[in-house]
Parts: sequence; structure tokens; C-alpha cells
Amino acid sequence: MNSKNKAAAVKLLILRIFVYAVIIFLCALCLFFFIMLFVNSSRTNSQLQRGFTLIPGGHFFYNLNNAVHDSSINIPRGMLNSLIVAGLSSALTTYFSALTAYGIYVYNFKLKKLAYTFIIAVMMIPSQVSAAGFVKIALELDLDNKLWVLIIPSIAAPAVFFYMHQYLKATMPLEIVEAARIDGSGEFATFNRIVLPIMKPAIAVQMIFSFVASWNNYFLPAILLTKPGKKTVPVMIAQLRSADYSKFDMGKVYMFILLAILPVIVVYFILSKSIIKGVTSGSVKG
Amino acid sequence: MKSTTTKEAKAKSISYAKWGYIFILPFFLVYAVFTFYPQILTIYYSFFKYFRDGLTWIGPEFIGFDNYKALLTPTAEGTIDILKYFGNTVIMWVMGAVPQFVIALALAVFFTSTRLNIKGQSIMKTVIYMPNLIMASAFSMLFFTLFSTVGPINSLFVSMGIIDKAFDFFFCTISMRTLVALLNFLMWFGNTTILLMAGIQSIDESLFESARLDGASGLRVFFNITMPLLKPIFIYTFITSMIGGLQMFDVPNILSNRTGQPNRTSETMVMYLNNYLGVSKNFGMAGAISVVLFILTAVLSVIVFKTIDRDKD
Amino acid sequence: MASVSLKDVVKIYPQTEKDKKSRKKTNLEVRDKGVVAVQEFNIDIKDKEFIVLVGPSGCGKSTTLRMIAGLEEITSGELYIDGELMNAVAPKDRDIAMVFQSYALYPHMTVYENMAYSLKIKKVPKDEIDRKVKEAAEILDITKYLQRKPKALSGGQRQRVAIGRAIVRNPKVLLMDEPLSNLDAKLRNQMRAELLKLQNRIQTTIVYVTHDQVEAMTLGDRIVVMKDGYIQQIGTPQEVFNHQANTFVAGFIGTPQMNFFEGRLLREGNNYSVQYGNYVVNLSAEKSARLAANNVETMDVTFGIRPEQMVLANEGIDATVEVSEMMGTQSHLHATCSGKDVVVIVPNAGEDSDYSGKSIKLEFSGSVVHVFSKEDGRNLEK
Repeated sequence: MNSKNKAAAVKLLILRIFVYAVIIFLCALCLFFFIMLFVNSSRTNSQLQRGFTLIPGGHFFYNLNNAVHDSSINIPRGMLNSLIVAGLSSALTTYFSALTAYGIYVYNFKLKKLAYTFIIAVMMIPSQVSAAGFVKIALELDLDNKLWVLIIPSIAAPAVFFYMHQYLKATMPLEIVEAARIDGSGEFATFNRIVLPIMKPAIAVQMIFSFVASWNNYFLPAILLTKPGKKTVPVMIAQLRSADYSKFDMGKVYMFILLAILPVIVVYFILSKSIIKGVTSGSVKG
Repeated sequence: MKSTTTKEAKAKSISYAKWGYIFILPFFLVYAVFTFYPQILTIYYSFFKYFRDGLTWIGPEFIGFDNYKALLTPTAEGTIDILKYFGNTVIMWVMGAVPQFVIALALAVFFTSTRLNIKGQSIMKTVIYMPNLIMASAFSMLFFTLFSTVGPINSLFVSMGIIDKAFDFFFCTISMRTLVALLNFLMWFGNTTILLMAGIQSIDESLFESARLDGASGLRVFFNITMPLLKPIFIYTFITSMIGGLQMFDVPNILSNRTGQPNRTSETMVMYLNNYLGVSKNFGMAGAISVVLFILTAVLSVIVFKTIDRDKD
Repeated sequence: MASVSLKDVVKIYPQTEKDKKSRKKTNLEVRDKGVVAVQEFNIDIKDKEFIVLVGPSGCGKSTTLRMIAGLEEITSGELYIDGELMNAVAPKDRDIAMVFQSYALYPHMTVYENMAYSLKIKKVPKDEIDRKVKEAAEILDITKYLQRKPKALSGGQRQRVAIGRAIVRNPKVLLMDEPLSNLDAKLRNQMRAELLKLQNRIQTTIVYVTHDQVEAMTLGDRIVVMKDGYIQQIGTPQEVFNHQANTFVAGFIGTPQMNFFEGRLLREGNNYSVQYGNYVVNLSAEKSARLAANNVETMDVTFGIRPEQMVLANEGIDATVEVSEMMGTQSHLHATCSGKDVVVIVPNAGEDSDYSGKSIKLEFSGSVVHVFSKEDGRNLEK
């Protein structure tokens, strides 16, 4: 009996060691490239040419200064542009998706079912497949190199709508709306003052996701934003790739990349718990 | 009293239906202008000869299905580009997705196992999910610098004696595709792990317990209980990953510097679309490629909805 | 503060194709326009009256209340509050307040903010809001929770806040939709008594919906018993208890439920008696007179007697006790009588009170028998 118990314990121990090893390897793999980025962004070009090391070079601020004052890639400008686009897009996306979800959840009207089915049906269609028409219109109306062309469309975000609708179904009793009506609250006031605060957790999660998505968005901005002062960060990063990198100060290049991804990493490490929770809650819960 | 009250009754009703329309109006208005109309336009121009040649515009001139025919016409080298790029996309997606799903499934099972009782889960999840939020273009640029001929990986390999001179990862089909797949794998396996974990956690715990008491081994439990009950969520995640794979663009575009090098073996469908949309603004050809992409996505979407529907019942 | 009148008020829910397939198990009438949730509803509620709508689920009581509130459209008919037609008036302009079953407190606001919200919308001056909220909180004994959020309150406290939110505005009519059903039994009894006190204090018209007949009996000045969209009876608790309109009301009001027997009504001139098997009981003069006034002839009837009004005797209806439930000073005997279940309440007499398995004979007086038509269940005395 005792030996049987012992054998099982040893077996479990071996299994656990194996599992931990696998997980730690994968975590290390994920972190490795970012550690390399951090290390290399603190090394000068000549240090970098000496080869691979994991020891920081101590020239972080030197590289930062060079990157910020680069003559061809205006990264502060790019970050500001990205911040404007991502900030406004995420605010519009969440507000109007919540509004739409609320409209469909609370009110009964003839086209309700049709409206819902339509949004769900188009949810999976990627934006690339309508990009040709979009670019055509933008060119025709002289809207290329205008940031707001990238911002306004975020009002209609089917996937965010779906998430908000699921959230409302799960957390918002209709009686709250009725209580507000009887208390004398108008329909818009009820949404803004009662419903939005109740939806705060959902809005926060979706705001983060849509901010990140917009911050990272590359396809359409790369086509539409061609003037240097209008480019967003991903477009500038792509520009970096097409430049003749062998002439580049590599320390500066690593710093550009770091600046491009650092804002998201910082936000992520502050809010990782709710972000990870948000990954699952928006998915399949028919 | 009576005269005033009856007037009022006719004047209005307390139906709130109109508010439903008012609340959903902005969404549908914006959708119509910025997505639906462009979509129609995209399809419309796919039947036209319409592009920019230098500073002059050619077209629009109606040419029927000529753009589609052009898509399917072999080039001088004898390849049909769109099929080649579709093949590239599929190959690179598969190379990333297979390890992505195998490892995510294994991790999800490990994390949820009460017997293994893995400690430090929240940190591990935080780490493996992180790449999903990283700007794909910046991540690719990082890979490019790290793996370039003068980059640290090459110097590491040389100093370790694995290779004797710098190897150009981006000019070899296998290594190029592997790097694209590796990046996609790194960016997505954490996300998939978390989704599958949630799926496993939604299975009634007592099913696992009773299977164990019935004498089922760990593997048996996995194949007889976990997998069948996880199937709808697994399929959903898998197909959405396929739809995502079809849109593969940022990573190969940056890694190959828009060329799909070497020899366009890393060129994807969306890179193909981008080439027509970029400088030449060839709305005819871009439209035709978009329509193909649209149809492929639609087919995959229908499968997604079927699985969600079945999940509901 | 206000009277409420409903004239021929009807609610019809439009029916979709899907509903037609799925909604099989309902007794509601289906017309061309849809399912009739409330049939022509007529009542005049007097100022300061406490009216209780009671009935099983799906009887239309909540729908009626929600039509008074303005949360549901009235399909046809008229609703007057204080003599003014209200059909098309929005809820906020009806000067009504409502307490919801789930309380529907705003989760992100404190108790104080919850109660002040409606006054704030009406742009009542701040110091007046403060005075009114504190006054209502005082009445309901929730002053010390004013700065808490609803999440930090117990069910009973939330219930008080919900009531507080409603009375703080001095509404013309206070509507309550099953307000006590989410409380445990002990709290429910306590709150019931407090609601009565409250009504004395705030002196307002109350329309109250419940499925619990005990609540209806204890709270209501008048009770409206409903079933399948139809009003079954409107009356004081006394009237509804003693002079039921039909077998449904008789069975619904009172616990344990009234016992029903299939028997025969015999008429001899102006004297009536009921017969069950060989057992015959002469009805009281009062009852006979009412039956005679309705010119009821000898016929098969359903008659009912309340469990507490049957006694064990040497003569009477034969029954066999199956289970005896000891309830303290009395016991509930569950017996069968020609295959039908009968409940009798008997006082406990010392040690020897276990009747299980015994045969008994049940007797009752002619003044406690309720006689109903066998065909449609209506009370033949009415």
C-alpha cells in the first residue's frame, strides 16, 4: 500500500516538473525578445556591433535623446498622432457600441431583430475587404492624411457591440430602466447617468482593447497617411524597415521599437488582471 | 375635463419604440457610410478597369469579369499569383497555428488540472498573453533587427559555432516562413490558451471527478470528457484563427520589406491586395482580390455561426 | 392623494409566429391581435385606498400595475388618475412611484443618491431634497445607511431603500410589484406590519401586486382576485373570504385550501340542504334565503367547506386519515374521502392526537357551506 502511494507520488512529481519546465520555457521565449529589446535599446551602435549580450549598455537616455530628435522619423509626433487616433477611437467605439447595444436590448421595435442579426452577421468581416472602396472615397473627397477619417468609423464596431450586448444581458435588469423612467429620468439621461456607470467594467475592458487595436493598426493608416506629420507609429516603424538599415544607428532603431510598444506594455502590466478577464468574457457565451 | 383629455390621448403614445431607432441610428449611419458603402464600391469597381498610372487616372471603364480573369491568368513564370499567395498564407498560418493550438490545449489542461495544481498561474498567463497586445509591426521590426545578418542572433550563433558566417534568415524560404509563423505563434498562443482554459473551466467539475472515480486515466479523461465538451469552443477558436490567418499582413509585410521575399514565397493575400491599393491605386484589381477574400471569410464565418448555434442548444 | 379608475382596460401582446408555436401551455385567450394578458378591467380605486391585486403567475396582475405605471401601453380602455386621462402620459408625468420586486436600486449610487435622484431630476432645491430624503429615511429607519451603496445592504434594508425612494416624492399613487417576495418568511411578516403603519403615515393611494393571498388579506382595503387575465372578484378581505365569487377564489384564498365535495343541493320550498352520500346538512336560513332569491333549484353542485370549519363527529362524511401534521395547538389531518383529498384542522387533545391511519367522520354546520355551480364554478348564492 505504502509503495503504491510512493510510486504515484513520484509519478506526479515527475509530471509536475515536466509541466513547469514547459511553461517556464514558453514564458522565457515570450520574454526573451523583449528583454533583448530593452538591453539593446540601452546600447550604442558600436556596442551593438560587438555582438550578442544580455548586459545593458548604459546608454538608454543617449538613445532616447537620439530617437526623439531624429530628423527623418518624428516619433514624438507619431506617438501623439497615434494617441489622438487611438484615444478618440476607443472612446467613440465604447460609447456608441454601448448605446447601440442598449438600444437593442431595452427597446422593442419592429427592426430590432433584423438590426441585431445584421450586426452579428457582419461581425466577422475584416475591414480589409472594404478597404479599396474606403480608399477610393477618401481620395475622392481629399480625406487622406486626415486623422479623423480613421477615427469616425470606429463608431460602428460590431464586435464591441456584441460584447456590450452580452454584458447587458448578463448584468442589467430591465427594472432599473423602468425605475429610472418612473423617477422621471429621460431616455438619454437614463443611459448616460444610470446605465453607463453600471457598464463601467465592460467599457473599461473594451476601451483598452480598442485602444490597443487602434494603436497597433497598420494596414489602412499605411495607405492613407503619407505626409510625415500625419503618420502614426506603426507607419513610422514600417518606414524604418524600408530605410537602408545598415547606415542606421541601431541603438536608435531599438529605441524606436521600444517607444512603439512601451505604452501598451505599461498599461498592460497595470491592468493585466482585468484585461485577461476581458479576453474570455467577450468570446463564446452564446 | 373630457375635451382636453381625449385630445391628449390622441396626441401621442407611451411607446418607446422610437428611442430604439434613435439609439441605434449613429451606429448604422456610420456603418453605412464607412463600411457598407465602401464595401459595395469595392465590389462595383472589381468589374472596372480603374487605376493610376503616374499622375493620370485610367478608367473607370467597365470590363466585366476581366479583373477576375486576370487574377487567374498565369504569369510569365507560369504561376497563378493569387493561388500562390493563398498557398503562402495557408502554409504560414498552418506552421504557426498547429503549435499554437497543440501547446495552448496542453497549457489549458495543465492550468486547469486540480491534481497538478500549478502555482503562479496569474503571472504565467500575464506573460504568455502579453505578445498578443504588442504592435505586430513593431514586433516584426524587432525580429528583423534581431535576426538580421548583423543582428545579435547571428552573432550569437556564430560565436557558439553553430554556423560559421552570418545567415540571412530573410532570404531563405524556410527560415522566412518559420519566422513569420514563430511570430504569429508567439502572438496568439497565450490568447488561445486563455480561451480554451475558460472553455474547460465551464465544464462541470463533477464530470471530471466522476470519470476519475470511474477509473479513467488522465489521458482518457482528456479524450473522453474534456475534448468532446470543449469541441464547440475549440472549433470556434480555430475558425476565428483561420479568419485571422487569412488577414495575415503586418508580420510578413514588415519582415520582407513589402516584397514577399524571397521570390514572393512570403507574400500573403492581403499583401497582394495592399500592392494594388498602395501606389498604383488599382481599384479594379484590388476590388477583385477583396471579393475573393470576402467570399473566403464569409464561408468561414458561416461555420463559426453554425458552431455557436449548436453550442446554444 | 388621488383616485385611480380603470375603464375596460385591455392588454394584448402581439404574437409572433415563434410565440404561436412555443406558447402552448397558457390559458390566456388568443385574439386576432395577439394574446390577451388583461381582459376588460374595471375598477374605481378611491383616494387613500390600499388595493391589492392577487392571483397566480400569469394572471395579468403585474401587467395591470405596469399599465397604471405607464411602463406598458394600454391596448384599449381608459386609465384615469385623479379624474385625468393618463393613457398617453409618460410615467414621469403621472406622479406615481413604484417599488419593484427586485428593488431596482441604482447600484452605483449611495442610498441617499438613490432616494434623491427623482427629486434632483425635478430640480427640487438641494436643501429641500436633503430634508425630504432624511425624513423618509427616518420613517423607514435607514438613516444610518444613507451613505452606503446598495451592495453593502441586506435584503431587508434594500427593500426599505426601495420604498424610501418611492415615498420621498409624495406620489399621488404608490405602486408595489411583489415587494416582499424576495424576503425570507420572518422579515416578510415584519415588513407587512410596517407597510400598514407606513400607509397610515403617508396617506396615499396604494396599488399592490402579490401572489400571496395572506399578504392580500392582511394588507388590502379591497382585494382584486385575478386569473387568466380576468377579474374573478373585487371585495374587502371579509367579502372575498366569506362570499367567494366562484370555486377559483374559494380555493385561492385561505390556507389550507378549502375542501371541495361533489354533492347535491336539495330544495324544499325556501329551505335548502346539501347531500353527500347519505349525509345531509340543512343550510342556514341566511344562505337558503340567498339561494331562494336566485331561484336555485335542486341540482348537482360542488360545495366547499374550509378545513377549520369541519369537526370530527360520530355522524358525517367518511374519511380515512393518511397523514397527521402536528402544528402545535392543532393538527392538520390529511385524509381521503372517496378518493379525494381532504384537509381538516382539529385541536390537539393531549397525548392521544395521532390520527394516522384512522377512519374518521366529518361534520359541519349549515352556515359554513359554500355552494357552487358544478358547470362553471360560480357561487350560487351570489
